[in-house]
Amino acid sequence: MGGTLALAKIEIMRLRRNRRYMMLTLALPVVLYLLVAKQVQHVTAYGVPYKAYYMVAMASLGAFAGALTSNAQRISQERKDGWIRQLRLTPIPPQSYVVAKIIASLATSIPSILLVLLLGRFYGDVQLAGWKWVVIGVAVWAGTLIFAALAVAIGYRYMPDTVQPMTMFVYLIMTFLGGVWFALGGTLQKIGEALPTYQIIRVGTDVIFNGTVSVTSIVVIAAWLVGFIVLAWLSVRATAETV
Amino acid sequence: MSHSGTGPVVSFDDVSKHYGSLKAVDGLSLDLHPGETVALLGPNGAGKSTSLDMLLALRKPTSGKIRMFGSDPAHAVKSGRVGAMLQSGGLMPEVTVRELVTLVTDLHPRPVPVATTLRRAGIESVADQRVDRLSGGQTQRVRFSLAIVGECDLIVLDEPTTAMDVETRQLFWNSMKAEVAQGRTLLFATHYLEEADHAADRILVINRGRLLADGTPAEIKARAGAKRLAFRLDKVDEPFLLGLPGLVSLDVRGDVVQMQSSDSDATLYALLDAGYRPREIEIGSLGLEQAFLAITAEDDRANGHELVKETT
Repeated sequence: MGGTLALAKIEIMRLRRNRRYMMLTLALPVVLYLLVAKQVQHVTAYGVPYKAYYMVAMASLGAFAGALTSNAQRISQERKDGWIRQLRLTPIPPQSYVVAKIIASLATSIPSILLVLLLGRFYGDVQLAGWKWVVIGVAVWAGTLIFAALAVAIGYRYMPDTVQPMTMFVYLIMTFLGGVWFALGGTLQKIGEALPTYQIIRVGTDVIFNGTVSVTSIVVIAAWLVGFIVLAWLSVRATAETV
Repeated sequence: MSHSGTGPVVSFDDVSKHYGSLKAVDGLSLDLHPGETVALLGPNGAGKSTSLDMLLALRKPTSGKIRMFGSDPAHAVKSGRVGAMLQSGGLMPEVTVRELVTLVTDLHPRPVPVATTLRRAGIESVADQRVDRLSGGQTQRVRFSLAIVGECDLIVLDEPTTAMDVETRQLFWNSMKAEVAQGRTLLFATHYLEEADHAADRILVINRGRLLADGTPAEIKARAGAKRLAFRLDKVDEPFLLGLPGLVSLDVRGDVVQMQSSDSDATLYALLDAGYRPREIEIGSLGLEQAFLAITAEDDRANGHELVKETT
């Protein structure tokens, strides 16, 4: 485990040095929140004030983008370059590489989630009981895990040229239909309800609205999480001899 | 630090690796002993990399058994007893050389100080540069450094000097000799014959996944059994020459005929018996390069492949 943590530490350092990653995960959601949150007055989304909904949405935006797009691309490139092979010649267990990537994703998403929640509290004036903040933070954080697992599944199986458009496509579909950019209604929302993105935001807004979480949300989120973890595991196993 | 047991460091027992109908490695058996410097010599596609991959537990043999220090390869890798540099191995980008070497050192159970590794690999001057901004030769030396971050007993190198210029190659082998002098066993794959001749005290020649020869560089030259035969001939009848007994390869340039023969006496007698009177006859033994070509050509021919005509 010590080796895996040493690897995770350097992965976090690499992410923090990457400007594109910081733009996508920190700057973009913060700027969007500052621009949009107070422009939409007297409008509610999923039963809560727009600035409260938008806080949950922007926290998700940064966390998901970081976990999916940059991870998938890096894993694919590092597999192609042979870094994963090189790492397998070290005494750490073979799964350390994947575990370290996921730890790094989870760790680097914390500041971006916290920053947006702080903005919501002090700029958007969203006032909630302490435990509600915790539930919102944890729900979005769990979402990071879903996308980190998907990144492993894609990154291990496809070449970098394919991964780039593929993750972009998945990311746009997931965030648009999931109501991350703006709350949807009607048929699009109905479709979106099947997505983990929508349900994660819904956990947040439901907690804000009446302090409950629906079973549907939990089931949908858990199903995607399990599904992507299985996909990731299959990808890693299928490429065991070709990394 | 060095291997103290008396058993082989590495043993392959009838190891095969098949990809569909392709036999990348075909019934390979060999033992490496403590302190040896062994070259795995063969043309591209001979099965060198596949053999090393299996030795390092990156691929599983289709059949047969590989042992390293008496246990299975995955265990030996995990215990840090082997340091390796692969042809297909890459480096983590976006970090400095020092950060990368430090990371891999931290992962090793018997680490060497980072400064020592940097010095041994000759990369002190680039230690604070980013890994993804190095030249080909520098990158190669960083990859080599990752093989020596720990006190290992066996070093495995797959085509280590590819992308190195002549000078860097020289430096590389000097540092390698220092590693071996500490009692380590070294196995390296190469298709540079002079490298095998110069650096190894034992050469394993492999072709199409099979072991063709095993011995000292001098023995390999003799094992080829082939002699170089050269003469001038006015009217060259190539089909006839190709049918000569013992012929391994043939090269005709105008009236100059050069051939390799596994039985130079028989080849020459048959030529004379047929009424030819060659001039300026020279018979000599082969260099390692020609011996290597002779061994692989003989093997190709024995397996129904066309006789290779030298193009040099």
